[in-house]
Amino acid sequence: MNIYDSSSSLEIDKKKSLSIIKGRNKIKFKKMITILSFLLPALILYSIFMLYPMIDAVRFSFFDWDGAAPSMNFVGFDNYIKLTDDKIFIKALGHNLLWVVLSLILMVIPTLILAVLISRVKKGKTFFRAGFYLPSVLSLAVVGVLWSKIYDPEMGPINVFLKSIGLESLAKNWLGEPYFVIPALVIASTWAFYGLYMILFLAGLQNINYELYEAADLDGAGPIRKLWSITIPSLRNTLNVVISMVIINALKGFALIWIMTQGGPFYMSELVSTYVYKAAFSMNKVSYATAGSVVLGIIVIVFTITFNYYRERSEN
Amino acid sequence: MESRVKRWKTSQLTLWVVLLLLLLLITAPIFYAVLASFKTNMEIFNTPFSLPKSWNFDNYINAWNLGNFKQYFLNSAFITVGGMIIVALVACPAGYAFAQLSFKGSNLLFYLVLLGMSLPVQAIIIPIFFQLKSMGLVNTLTGVTLVSSGLALPFSIFLMRNTFRDIPKELRESAAIDGAGEWRTFWSVVLPLAKPGLVALLIFTFMNIWNDFLLPLVLLIGQEKFTISLGLYSFQGEQTTNFGLIFGGTVISMIPSIIIYIFFQRSFVEGMTGGANK
Repeated sequence: MNIYDSSSSLEIDKKKSLSIIKGRNKIKFKKMITILSFLLPALILYSIFMLYPMIDAVRFSFFDWDGAAPSMNFVGFDNYIKLTDDKIFIKALGHNLLWVVLSLILMVIPTLILAVLISRVKKGKTFFRAGFYLPSVLSLAVVGVLWSKIYDPEMGPINVFLKSIGLESLAKNWLGEPYFVIPALVIASTWAFYGLYMILFLAGLQNINYELYEAADLDGAGPIRKLWSITIPSLRNTLNVVISMVIINALKGFALIWIMTQGGPFYMSELVSTYVYKAAFSMNKVSYATAGSVVLGIIVIVFTITFNYYRERSEN
Repeated sequence: MESRVKRWKTSQLTLWVVLLLLLLLITAPIFYAVLASFKTNMEIFNTPFSLPKSWNFDNYINAWNLGNFKQYFLNSAFITVGGMIIVALVACPAGYAFAQLSFKGSNLLFYLVLLGMSLPVQAIIIPIFFQLKSMGLVNTLTGVTLVSSGLALPFSIFLMRNTFRDIPKELRESAAIDGAGEWRTFWSVVLPLAKPGLVALLIFTFMNIWNDFLLPLVLLIGQEKFTISLGLYSFQGEQTTNFGLIFGGTVISMIPSIIIYIFFQRSFVEGMTGGANK
């Protein structure tokens, strides 16, 4: 009787715990479904329009395809090897590099100084911040059209002004001469992009301990000294972010160049992005162009990853 | 003491004057465009820096009607509003999942988001074109809307994750104790608190899609489908020397973003600093 009893109670215990496990699995399963329901729309959209094209980009680059033929020929690394022999592609890469350097010179320190000046104003800080940000609100199409008219050799205000004060010899065809075209484009792009960096600097400046400046004042330090030994070191993290963003944006540049010069004259302002666009959509060298764009993508991603790796290490 | 106050006041005054002059210099191209949009070609050439003789709206009217800007405007509005709705509906739940729910593989998925953020569009635009072609969506506004939303997704998820991460988890837990399901908690407890982040997301999406150039350039072919950016670009190509008319179109293209900017200035700043400083 006793034995009988205990065994039956054991049986019941087993059943109980089994049903508990089952119940737990059920809860776990239900939880998984809930989480999935939060993520699924994003996963689908991301897979169709980002992940799949990423895989396709790599795939295309190993084939020979004109975009219309029903079959693709596998050619291995041929497209990449051809790129290293392509004078225009190499030139375009060089222009990208020049674009990066010029952007860094024009954007980082001048924008930092502007932000410092704005942060020193007691009344009207918001007004200046909003005003100086205005160009960044405009679309690149607007900026491109506007600046190509400003640079216009005949009717553009720059040349009209130079002629009116008798400096006709300085009036140039800004977008038509080999050595002026890239600097002219970088100036337009600086105008379009500096606002974002100004905002980031202003946010960074707010976090600097004001007492440091007061101490420096007591020591009789001048404004340049203060900028160099207090502001810049305290803004190290912001500066890192800004510099990396300037570099990445310079590598990605397309719209302004396409609108203002289409890479001309004679490829003098050709960047990788404009060259790739032309190769794919007007010369029908689809797989070759894709290989070029993969190279650009890899440069940007490798730069971003390395940069973030070092930044995290230096911040810890 | 008095002299110090005085010195402070004069230094503030100098600062003001310097900044004001700089601001005028920097915004001069915008003023130039606005003034030129009221002028005839002759006036732009002869008196480029003066006020127009009369405030003549002909350039605007011609750009709007003959230059098709009306159609471009509607197309841009369709793509932008559609994109904003899709991005908000998709990125908010995903950002919430990353910030508040713990699940296996969340790190791996988040790396995908970060990868998407650093990937330049140029690297995948060619396959996107052919993908859309196979779906029959090249040269359709729907196609551009979908692609724009997809490409906006990584940054949007990132922004919403940061927003939701700042909301204490205890709130969610106490809602769960009260018997609310996860979606209900998300919708009626957490989302209302994330309103500033949501506003920033919507403005960001608006600006990105409304101002985009590359996607419409690659994905739209017929002029009747052009967005305002693409329309302005082709307009300047057709009207190369008609400066007044081009500036009319340029100013029309500026107006929507400037209006949004004036109304939501604060959210701009918050969205940007929130997005960049993790």
